[in-house]
Amino acid sequence: MLSDLQLNSILQDFDIAYWKINLFSKEIGWSQHFNILVGDPEIEEDRFEFFINRILHPDYRYDFRIHFEKLIKDNEPFSFEIKLKLENGKYRWFECKNLKSKEQTFRETAVLLFVNIHQSKRDQYTIEENFFYYRETAEMTSTGGWYVDTLHKNIYWDDVSKKILDCPRDFQPAYEDHMNFYAKEHHNRMRNSFDKCENYGIPFKLELKMVSFQNREFWVRLTGKPVYSEEQKVVGIRGVLQNVDENKNNELNLQNSLDIIATQNSRLFNFAHIVSHHLRSHSSNLSLIVELLRESKTDKDKLDLLANVEDVAGNLDSAISRLNDIVSIQTSLRKERVKIKFEEALEIVLASISSLINRENAKIVAEFQDLQEIRYIPEYLESILLNLITNAIRYKQPGRKPVIFIQTYIENEKEYLEVSDNGMGIDLAEHGDKMFGMYKTFHQHNPEAKGIGLFITKNQVEALGGNISVSSTLDIGTTFKIKF
Amino acid sequence: MGQKVELACIIDDDKIYVNLVKKIIEIKKLSENLLIYKNGKEALDYFKLIMENATDEDKLPDIIFLDLNMPVMDGWEFLNEFIKIKNNLNKKITLYVVSSSIDPRDLERAKSFNMVTDYLIKPIELKKFEKIFAKTAA
Repeated sequence: MLSDLQLNSILQDFDIAYWKINLFSKEIGWSQHFNILVGDPEIEEDRFEFFINRILHPDYRYDFRIHFEKLIKDNEPFSFEIKLKLENGKYRWFECKNLKSKEQTFRETAVLLFVNIHQSKRDQYTIEENFFYYRETAEMTSTGGWYVDTLHKNIYWDDVSKKILDCPRDFQPAYEDHMNFYAKEHHNRMRNSFDKCENYGIPFKLELKMVSFQNREFWVRLTGKPVYSEEQKVVGIRGVLQNVDENKNNELNLQNSLDIIATQNSRLFNFAHIVSHHLRSHSSNLSLIVELLRESKTDKDKLDLLANVEDVAGNLDSAISRLNDIVSIQTSLRKERVKIKFEEALEIVLASISSLINRENAKIVAEFQDLQEIRYIPEYLESILLNLITNAIRYKQPGRKPVIFIQTYIENEKEYLEVSDNGMGIDLAEHGDKMFGMYKTFHQHNPEAKGIGLFITKNQVEALGGNISVSSTLDIGTTFKIKF
Repeated sequence: MGQKVELACIIDDDKIYVNLVKKIIEIKKLSENLLIYKNGKEALDYFKLIMENATDEDKLPDIIFLDLNMPVMDGWEFLNEFIKIKNNLNKKITLYVVSSSIDPRDLERAKSFNMVTDYLIKPIELKKFEKIFAKTAA
């Protein structure tokens, strides 16, 4: 057996102090180490009271008294974490518990141990604190953790991940189903990254769309890194996923606005160019006439030139009214969209060009059953239909009765209008890029062509956030497709 | 005026402008003859026809005034096509781009063609016309 001295030195080494309490006399004896810890005070009063008042942190006084009494009276086990003021005046954490006595029936002493747990208590605090920061960060940034055990085919999501994915907390995703949580269009990307990580240990960082438990699509940023076994084999992949839907949508919206601004800017630039160019061509003619008037000697010459002035005036007037048409597209943007039936819009248009249709014996077939109405500006829809139909008739294949097929439909939740004809068609490789430019005409011998209709149509469609495209085959026909 | 240009060519769809230039050329006796085409394609077709008959060299113009904005085939397209056949035409042809466009990008683009002698902005003053014709005739 160890001597008391040896025991004391061992206890001191382990930083364990104790009290020995005589259960009859209630006398309390402090171990040597306890005495040293608390600075070997001179005690005149009761040792217990001194401890309570001078050494024990005030927060624990009440509880300690009760527990201590129960230990003495009823031998009730005592285990308690307390703070003690040591000889340097600072509080330290101790675990205070009784030493269980082996003799069950007869007790004359009780032993109370004081184990220094300050370091582990501090570690615990640090962990708790770190965990707090981790959790707050995770919540604030909507970042969850995930782990896929590729060996045992298991998936683990932490609470934040489950929250991001709208899952109940007790939800356990099945390994074979986990692809369902990614949007279809991103399955390949996800699978590729995952396979590369599983097979070659290549980490990944992706931005893709996920699908929540409630079938809601949203953008996430997802990272994954391999987890290696001791044999350096990949046994799992873990990472974080962050809900970036708001940011991503803002980014997309911003890009969208940027695109709109860019097209508007280019339209504006184009317009300024058109104004300068087309007004200048008339003004330059005028100044040429003035110069010639100065040079001309006979009255006849002068009268001829005056006739030219008249022509210039007429041209200038029509140029300005056409420019006005373009400007009015921008101003009518403030008009409200209303529900319009395609059928009704077409009727109005056909009535207004009935003489042209009759003269050319044009056949117009309309199929609106897949998409009967649309929220749009009525004047625009009519103007679009009018331009595309008159265009189709104007550029008919000579000798062929013009047939125009008009169709509306929905594809991928987007609304479409298609106008096809059996006309002369156009070489898009040559003219495609200027198809919708201003004052561009492509066919000879067509005095009616002013080259402004498609320009206006494109502007109207784009002003309302859609786009227009064209496909055509020479001698076969042309199809204009509008995505609203 | 000593020498006179034999044959001038205007490619422009603005009828009034063409009429006025025609008058200037008549009044100032700047050119013996005048070819007028209202777009690039018409002019190109003519040049291709001449090319096939090598003897018709005198039917090629000494000077061309080319507009940019025209229907069917604009000035740029004409230039691109004209480059291809120019070396087969056995005659020195001076070419001016004439446009009312003051867009600097048009000017830059026109200057990028070697065969474009200059870019003239409408309106061209009478005196300038005289100078250009005198230079070409000399």
